[in-house]
Amino acid sequence: MIKIQSLNAFYNDFHVLKDISLEVKKGQVVVILGPNGHGKSTFLKSICGLVDKITGKIFYDQEDITGLKSEKLVNKGITYIAENRELFPEMTVLENLKLGAYSKSARPHEKKNLEKVFSLFPRLAARKSQLASTMSGGEARMLAIARGLMSNAKFLAIDEPSLGLQPNLRNEVARIIKEINSQGITLLVVEQNTPRIMELADKFYVLEEGRISFEGSKEDALGNDHLKEIFLGI
Amino acid sequence: MFIEIIDVIISGLINGSVYALMAVGLTLIYGVSKAFNFAYGSLYSLGGYIAFLLFSLAWINNYLLVFCLAAPILLVIGFFLEKLLVAPLRKRDDWEIKVMMITLGLALFLDNSFQVVFGARMKSLPTMLEGSFELGEFILSYQDVAIFIFSIGGILLFRWFLNNTRTGMSVRAVAQNPEGAQIVGIPKEFVFAATFAISTVMVGMGGILLAQKYFITPTGGWDILVKAWVITAFGGMGSIKGSLYAAFIVGMLEAFVGWHFGMTWTLIALFAVLLTTLAVRPQGLMGKWG
Amino acid sequence: MEHKPIALLLAGIWGIVAILPLFFGSTNFIMHILIMCLIWSVVASCWDLIMGFAGIFSFGQVAFFVIGAYSSAILSAKFGIAPIFAVFCAGGIAAALGILVGLPCLKLKGAYIALVTFAVHMILEPVLKGTIGRALGTGGSRGILTIAPMKIFGFTFSSSNPVPYFYLMLLVAIICSAIIFIVIKSKWGTAFLALKDAEDFASCLGVSSYKYKLMVFALTSFLTGMIGGFYAHYIGMLSTRMLGIDLFVTLMIILVIGGVGKFPGAIIGAFITIAFNEMLSPIGPYRPIILGAMVVMLVLILPDGIVGLVEKLFPKKQHELTH
Repeated sequence: MIKIQSLNAFYNDFHVLKDISLEVKKGQVVVILGPNGHGKSTFLKSICGLVDKITGKIFYDQEDITGLKSEKLVNKGITYIAENRELFPEMTVLENLKLGAYSKSARPHEKKNLEKVFSLFPRLAARKSQLASTMSGGEARMLAIARGLMSNAKFLAIDEPSLGLQPNLRNEVARIIKEINSQGITLLVVEQNTPRIMELADKFYVLEEGRISFEGSKEDALGNDHLKEIFLGI
Repeated sequence: MFIEIIDVIISGLINGSVYALMAVGLTLIYGVSKAFNFAYGSLYSLGGYIAFLLFSLAWINNYLLVFCLAAPILLVIGFFLEKLLVAPLRKRDDWEIKVMMITLGLALFLDNSFQVVFGARMKSLPTMLEGSFELGEFILSYQDVAIFIFSIGGILLFRWFLNNTRTGMSVRAVAQNPEGAQIVGIPKEFVFAATFAISTVMVGMGGILLAQKYFITPTGGWDILVKAWVITAFGGMGSIKGSLYAAFIVGMLEAFVGWHFGMTWTLIALFAVLLTTLAVRPQGLMGKWG
Repeated sequence: MEHKPIALLLAGIWGIVAILPLFFGSTNFIMHILIMCLIWSVVASCWDLIMGFAGIFSFGQVAFFVIGAYSSAILSAKFGIAPIFAVFCAGGIAAALGILVGLPCLKLKGAYIALVTFAVHMILEPVLKGTIGRALGTGGSRGILTIAPMKIFGFTFSSSNPVPYFYLMLLVAIICSAIIFIVIKSKWGTAFLALKDAEDFASCLGVSSYKYKLMVFALTSFLTGMIGGFYAHYIGMLSTRMLGIDLFVTLMIILVIGGVGKFPGAIIGAFITIAFNEMLSPIGPYRPIILGAMVVMLVLILPDGIVGLVEKLFPKKQHELTH
């Protein structure tokens, strides 16, 4: 579904990603591991058109989408869900969700998706008219994920969905990711330390110092002591 | 004495309402894109001159028609001004100062073009409504009432636009979180141009509304730019609510200072109040840092 | 830019300017324009120092110039102070007002500073024309019509023989540019760059933004006020028409042509702009239209001014210059 060939990304003159090649097949959950500050977020953002300076090639269903801006990509069904949430603080939950369905391709499905999202996150339905800035950390994260789902995406890049959450909420996030995936959405997730999410993964990549240092299935990853200790927490 | 004070309050309210319309436009551009438009006052005059031209056409004889024709003209002008002059500068590190410079140049260009095309002499527009409401010594002209209603109506329409239309919501989204707006697929460049266009309409409408009372002159916009700027800084640049309150405070202040000390003191009084406010609250009444 | 090329460029510019009277010395009209170029090169360089280097959006430059001009004229007329001392007093007055304006600006950011400083410009006209101004001796809306000419050691610089005044102004301009150069080169300059890039970070390192901002306000308004005084004693009359937006924009064109933060670009910009402006004067009312259009075009086409263009044309050299 997404195929990346020797992707390089830069912030100003800083070379963040170096020659990354990766493939995500339709319906898969691919998890990216790696220490903080080694380019995981930048990687997701470059796929979703949020990094200005990139080289290499990105294909989406055989179509070359390298260099397209996020508004085009969201319209094609590629959506980024930010680790730091990036909500609209002075707007209500409902308004945030409606803006999630801003792109042309999502507009016709707004009503259906809203129902879907509310059944997935009953808490959000109850707080529909509350301002986003008044939500707790966990609720805000749910809202960020929900807003991403509103875009009617076929491919979601989720950046550390369980970061900073309590263990029970992390399991909740894992349940939701499983649910999203079972609806046929392909997922690329940056994650660490949440075993429930790891269990869902079809494939792992480790990103260190802007390069991919490991690539393999769950079994391969579990066989690697280094990975097991540091990233999986199992 | 009592009647005089009532008169002063009413004049403060009416000017305040037009100022509110124009200041909201200025604060909007700043809130959404952090750009400051030095040509804002010239766009005010532009509104007046467009109305003047429209009224000179034989088949146009009422304000409603003028508004309906002027608004889209101003919208298009504003949109292209942003696209041609401001948008190319955004990529630069020092774009803020470059935008100030280019809009200042635009202001000089527009003002003097007005002077060449229309002459230095004042132009007037017909009054919106003749007659007045009289009760003893107290007189309230229908023109003032109409100006008040149109500017408040304009602000309410703008509010409706922000809260209920897709473009309006995307404008708020970019103002609140540009990165988040990009993530959900809002085209930022379009929103920047759209806000510039909307603010051009707002200040142009203000120009049309006030032209019937204060005439149109090629350089008359500078006074308006300074007032709108003072109001937005006073209320907190980027805060629409702040600008609304500040506009009425400034309208009242101006009316009372003008009545009691004379018109030459109004500008000085405005800056005195602004400086005092900024000394206590550098971000203005309702502004936020960042 | 590295400091050495700036010094070389400065020496080159002043060297060329110094021999210009050999060619034009007999044409008073051209000498007059050259004197104006020198005066505005100082004002523009000061503006570049505060805006381009210190990153403070000050829009009060013309106001301080006018304040200096009026102060010097009034001091010499009312208190009988010799013009050569009056200009320095005028600089002092402008500096004091500069600090006064700088104080509220310390806590403010970007467009707010622009507003407060521009406010000084905007209220100056009603103040000079109004009762306060008349009491001080500004002559109200009529302005000041006779100002004593500059006199040093009994030698009177008259505008009918502009060559001596040209060299006096050249000396003043050289000294001012040297001061600005020293400031940019000193640890002030480094502090400004740090403050402009990351104010919060710089203040963590102990760079006091308040101190440096106030000092730059004081210095630039002193130099601007002083040169305003020199202008007044040369021209011999003053009115509030100088506060019109044309002059303000002309000054801005100087910076745009020279390049913001590209000292000594402002000096080159001043010579080009003032000369060009004079050439345009026959076309009367169209002149400000062309000036306005020029700002718009230049900001778009030549965003870093002439100095920036040169740096771009010779990128290899620029590499040397910036490291």
